[in-house]
Amino acid sequence: MKKNLISNSIIFLLILFAITPILFALLGSFKELKDIINPIPKIIFSPTLENYITVLTTDSILRGIQNSTIIVGTSLLIGILVGIPAAYAIARYKPRGSNDLRFFYLSIRFMPPVAIAIPFIGIFLDLGLYDTKTAIIITYLPVTISSIIWLSIPAFESVPKDIEEAAGIEGCGYFGIFTKIALPVASPSLIGAVIFTFVITWNELLIALSLSSRNVTLPVVAASFTSLGFETPWGVINASAILLAIPPLLFVGIIINFIKKYISND
Amino acid sequence: MNKNKFILFCILPSIVILLIVVIFPMVGAINYSLQDKSLRFLEGDYIGFQNYIDMFEDRRFINALKISLYWELITVIGSLLLAILVSIILFEYSNKNYRILLAIILIMPIMLPKVSAGLIWRFMLSPVMGLVNAPLISLNLNPIEYLASPKLALFSVAFVDIWQWGLFFGVILLFLLETLPRDLIDAAKIDKVKKWQLHYFITFPMLKGSLITIALIKAIESLRSFDLIFTMTKGGPGITTETLDLYAYQQGIGLRGEISYASAMSVAMVIITIVIFTFIWKRAQKS
Repeated sequence: MKKNLISNSIIFLLILFAITPILFALLGSFKELKDIINPIPKIIFSPTLENYITVLTTDSILRGIQNSTIIVGTSLLIGILVGIPAAYAIARYKPRGSNDLRFFYLSIRFMPPVAIAIPFIGIFLDLGLYDTKTAIIITYLPVTISSIIWLSIPAFESVPKDIEEAAGIEGCGYFGIFTKIALPVASPSLIGAVIFTFVITWNELLIALSLSSRNVTLPVVAASFTSLGFETPWGVINASAILLAIPPLLFVGIIINFIKKYISND
Repeated sequence: MNKNKFILFCILPSIVILLIVVIFPMVGAINYSLQDKSLRFLEGDYIGFQNYIDMFEDRRFINALKISLYWELITVIGSLLLAILVSIILFEYSNKNYRILLAIILIMPIMLPKVSAGLIWRFMLSPVMGLVNAPLISLNLNPIEYLASPKLALFSVAFVDIWQWGLFFGVILLFLLETLPRDLIDAAKIDKVKKWQLHYFITFPMLKGSLITIALIKAIESLRSFDLIFTMTKGGPGITTETLDLYAYQQGIGLRGEISYASAMSVAMVIITIVIFTFIWKRAQKS
């Protein structure tokens, strides 16, 4: 009994360590500024929706949501169209040099983003694409394509080969086996891979910040609030930090299942 | 369509796009780095390797190199230690039925955009409204300026990174511990082996390969320090948290717009990271 109590309290402390900061900001997002600026944080206060109303009626935030959706959506879509067939071909047919190919996809992740962003500024200025959504979409492609490939290969490797071979005997072509057999069987894990990539792209700040001065994504808008004026609007900042974090947090269950499957497959 | 054509059809688009999107900026960066372009004067002249020579005489660059190295060491070692601790706690003390729920809670920090995590912790660490300083203030002591103190700022930001990654890797290690053969662990328990002995001598040595991979992944991810540091301190106070990517950003994009000089730094960064990580990765693959 006593042992149970100790283990439960250790676990409870661990949970507190993980989510207290998030809950504190969540609480702060419902406080008026006068309740926030208080050396001993107030637990009891009269909650207000004012911060969220301010955030959701600010032009830059609304444009940020719209831009983020378009930019992340498009680069993800291209990543899926290009990356998933590549992952399939590598997993299923292991063509010559496929190990080097895997390393090539991985090494894209080694590139420091600032080292891509800086020369791209010059290139996009020359091409007249600076400060457009297209510029950011293009710059996100290495991230989306390489991570979708890298994460999808194990998904296709776990598709039993005999199902595919049986379909081949029944006269399905290579393309048919891919779309009609492999894709549906692997799709639960593929969704995990896509969502993982979504989170990485949605959260990105540096490239969007560098390649735009007005066409900004949501992280850029949220980061810019702290440098506004003298009296920092902490209620609004908390609300925008929470708002920005909602889309990735929605997928936390899918991600954990994906990770679990990924690890037990090895 | 024959087999080889199908494979080519699947793989080729990804290679072509990746090569274009990676090689273009690299060629661009090398080209700019040999000129004296800036965002204000886009017409540049070729000046040879002057930018590279300047770099190694630039004390702020040397400082950034040093801070980046500290950042790598602190965040990689810190998240690994936290992860090991968390995984043992979960493995030993948590009820199997609730583990997935616990895992969901513990990976929430890593799911946060760095901007959100940075803002949330600026709020937590604030001397006038933060939760962390509240106990000190209620005892009438002076609050600690975690982000404004030159000595503490780097550790404070690194702590947030470790909070995100350490908990996440802790969950991963827990799942890995669960894949180990159960009878081995049960046998050790029957022999009354102490918990720390079990993990120190038996389970974690079996996970050595995974630990190395996790350390490598973290080392690669730690290179992307910009988002968090920019949100929390913008490299300050002074230049005490200015890593290479922040300095390159400040030079190339921020106020200065010295795009040629920043490009030289980018080229140096790419060469350093690709060489080091390719070497380490290939070695790790072999062993």
